[in-house]
Amino acid sequence: MISPAVLEQPGHWRSLGLVSVLLIVISPTLPLLLQAFDWSWSAFSFGRDFVAAILRSVIVAAGASLCALGLGFPCGLVAGLYRFPARRLMLAALAVPLLMPAFLWAIGLSMLRIELGLSRNGFLSGASGSIWSFAALATPLVVFAVLVAVRLLPGTAIDAARLAGGERAVLRYAGYAALPAGVTACLLGGILSLSDPGPGQILGFSGVATQILISFSALYDFELAAQQGLVTAAIVLLAASPLIWLVARHLTLALLPREVRLMEPRSSRTADWAGPALFGVTLLMALLAPVAGLAQPVLSELWLDSVVTTVARTGGNTLFYSAVAGLVATASAVPLAICATRVASLRASLLAGLLLILVLPPAVGALGTVLMASEAPVWLDPIFRSRFTVAAVLGLRLTAIPTVVLMRAIGSAPASWALAGALHGVPLLTYLRRVLAPFLAGPIFMSIALVALVATADITTVLLLQPPGQDSLSIALFTVMANAPESMVASLCLAYLLLGCLVIGALMFLMSLKGRLPRVGR
Amino acid sequence: MRMKVVSVTAATIVATCAAGCLESPEAPHEVVVYSSVDEIFARPIAQQFKNETGIQVRLVPDTEETKSTGLLNRLMAEKARPQADVFWSGDPVRAAILKSRDISEPYRSPQADGLPVRYSDPQGHWAGFSARARVLIYNTSLVPETERPTSVMDLLDSRFRGSACLANPLFGTTSMHAAALFQVLGEVNAREFFTRFIENGGTIVSSNGEVRRRVAAGDFAIGITDTDDFNVALRERKPVGIVYPDHDGIGTLVIPNAAVLIAGAPNPEGGKRFIDFLLSPETEEALAHSAAAQMPVRSGIPIPAYVRSLTEITPMQVDYDKLADELERLSNGFLREWVTRHSR
Repeated sequence: MISPAVLEQPGHWRSLGLVSVLLIVISPTLPLLLQAFDWSWSAFSFGRDFVAAILRSVIVAAGASLCALGLGFPCGLVAGLYRFPARRLMLAALAVPLLMPAFLWAIGLSMLRIELGLSRNGFLSGASGSIWSFAALATPLVVFAVLVAVRLLPGTAIDAARLAGGERAVLRYAGYAALPAGVTACLLGGILSLSDPGPGQILGFSGVATQILISFSALYDFELAAQQGLVTAAIVLLAASPLIWLVARHLTLALLPREVRLMEPRSSRTADWAGPALFGVTLLMALLAPVAGLAQPVLSELWLDSVVTTVARTGGNTLFYSAVAGLVATASAVPLAICATRVASLRASLLAGLLLILVLPPAVGALGTVLMASEAPVWLDPIFRSRFTVAAVLGLRLTAIPTVVLMRAIGSAPASWALAGALHGVPLLTYLRRVLAPFLAGPIFMSIALVALVATADITTVLLLQPPGQDSLSIALFTVMANAPESMVASLCLAYLLLGCLVIGALMFLMSLKGRLPRVGR
Repeated sequence: MRMKVVSVTAATIVATCAAGCLESPEAPHEVVVYSSVDEIFARPIAQQFKNETGIQVRLVPDTEETKSTGLLNRLMAEKARPQADVFWSGDPVRAAILKSRDISEPYRSPQADGLPVRYSDPQGHWAGFSARARVLIYNTSLVPETERPTSVMDLLDSRFRGSACLANPLFGTTSMHAAALFQVLGEVNAREFFTRFIENGGTIVSSNGEVRRRVAAGDFAIGITDTDDFNVALRERKPVGIVYPDHDGIGTLVIPNAAVLIAGAPNPEGGKRFIDFLLSPETEEALAHSAAAQMPVRSGIPIPAYVRSLTEITPMQVDYDKLADELERLSNGFLREWVTRHSR
């Protein structure tokens, strides 16, 4: 019988488990990465242009991260600590940008700029416009990461802080405790921007993602693209390593079991106006401004028939890809978080490894899988050439998101639970099933939902891996964009948004059920 | 009770994943078509094929609009065991790239008989049909009739200083246009064209669709795009005009579609039937009457009034078979440097 005490003790199983699961997570990218190492590095150009492109991209990523942190952190903090009017509705609305490919938001901003008659070189274009597009997508990640972190704080600590110094002390304590999760989420958001060339192409900004896109789509040179991705990842990891180390050290809490009466949000007169005001500004930036630009053409004509036909054809696949991606990512994140959470150096290594996967463009994993599939025997097609493949590759790439959420959650579980279980002879599996799983149910559900939403926005992976005829709604939307009338594109965009809202509403409802799941919506 | 809930949930998850794995293998009455032609134009043709033959088309469309790593990469990565039977390319350059990498297989369709040979590969790796053209699009509110452009060289004229745009010449049909300009104008003059475009305040935008959108919205006065893009703006009653450039000079670049049979395709017979259908006069007529407003390359096909006949324009004299090599050279050299330097 294995004792639950192993969960709190050091051991080689942690490193072994970590490496094994990370190998699975990174497996789709391996064929291209191995080819990249095999290829002559002397041909790789570290020219001034490439280095300058990396620098520009890092600046945009940092800008997007800071904007997301600046807006998302206070929103997550206030929504976690307080009740205020329309809180659930605004949280649901803030999840919508996660669904949207950054490219679409950039088009929305571009159209808004033209509508407003602003200059082509103004703040809605170029690097600043790209920062806006990426920040709009990173902000919800920060909000939800901070929200989960705050909601996992012990009620006793909140009460003590309130008694000692009132609401200021509560905000200070909760803010300090949630900062590592917030910083990690904004880091993830920023890093996701490094591999996405879309907004830069629309808004006139050329970063490293554009260079990699050129290697893929103009030179058809997979190896060069993979090498450029690796070099970018190395530079970014080097630059971000102090921050990774810092957040990894502070991602867990040392709690006693009696402290685990999770806090409940409460009403506050200040939060009644501050909450809606903060969310109003954030929603304006992250949702309303781009949607205003995108939806304007729908006023001239609504293409209901096309919308119904397209949604009917692609709706099932879209849900399947998203939901299974969420499951795969979370299933990979649970063992990773269990292996790494109690050891600071492993937490840092894990974060670094996952960020590396995120820096690589999604095409590296997707094309790597296509290469494996074409070399594999036919009987392996259900693994390599099915809808499950699409969802699995999507999920594995996004494993970083649930890992951060779950490391924070597992880090909040008191060590003495496992030790008490061991003392009473409780088997490990029983402990996991009866104690840890119920405690983690909320964060797990939140993880699945977050990954599902972000995966819905992916274009490249689905385009490269979808079994013929099994496209998703986002693919359908983008493949009609070039030559469909603007009103039809806008109609499809609005349908996409509305469906997303419905799914998010259903998730919020489920999450508020019975209080067993995370109570973010209550 | 809790165990039951957990068991049912786990069973549901496993069943869902299993359902995703167990796709039906490609049936003989299906043909898999990868297409870089916009879905809005390709899907009705695929449906028509199904109606006539009973063969289901599994269409995988692509678009330059997404700036994703597209289907050509997928075809290259799938080379060892392809899934596609046919690649319906929106231009002959991508088809020539497949030929150069041994991904295509020669097929001479009986339907190709009436098609001009200059728009097809001499070895039969791709066959050209219905064409688009590279045209000048201008905003009629910003450009008076007296200042109407007539040549791509007008993009360098001071009257369009700071108000001309061009899609990124590393991608899509603009890349083919760039290669064609190098072939027709020569290295020195073509380089000068691109250099002077920037000196005149010209802007690189993401795609031809973006050129259309921004010229129609008045963000730019003039740009270069494809006829199908222009036609969308026209149907939306945007204030735009069209010029088939260089009627008296180097001519207008004509871009035929290209049908390619994939080497080692799982269903080559189905693929050949689909190519026969694509190359038929009926498909050329259907594409002419569709929103794509494509020009039949055959003579004698009935066309609507808003579609130009190829006989009415001066086609640019280019060797389509050599454009892919030219483009590869430029993408690795001048064009890449030019785009990197001049994108903000």
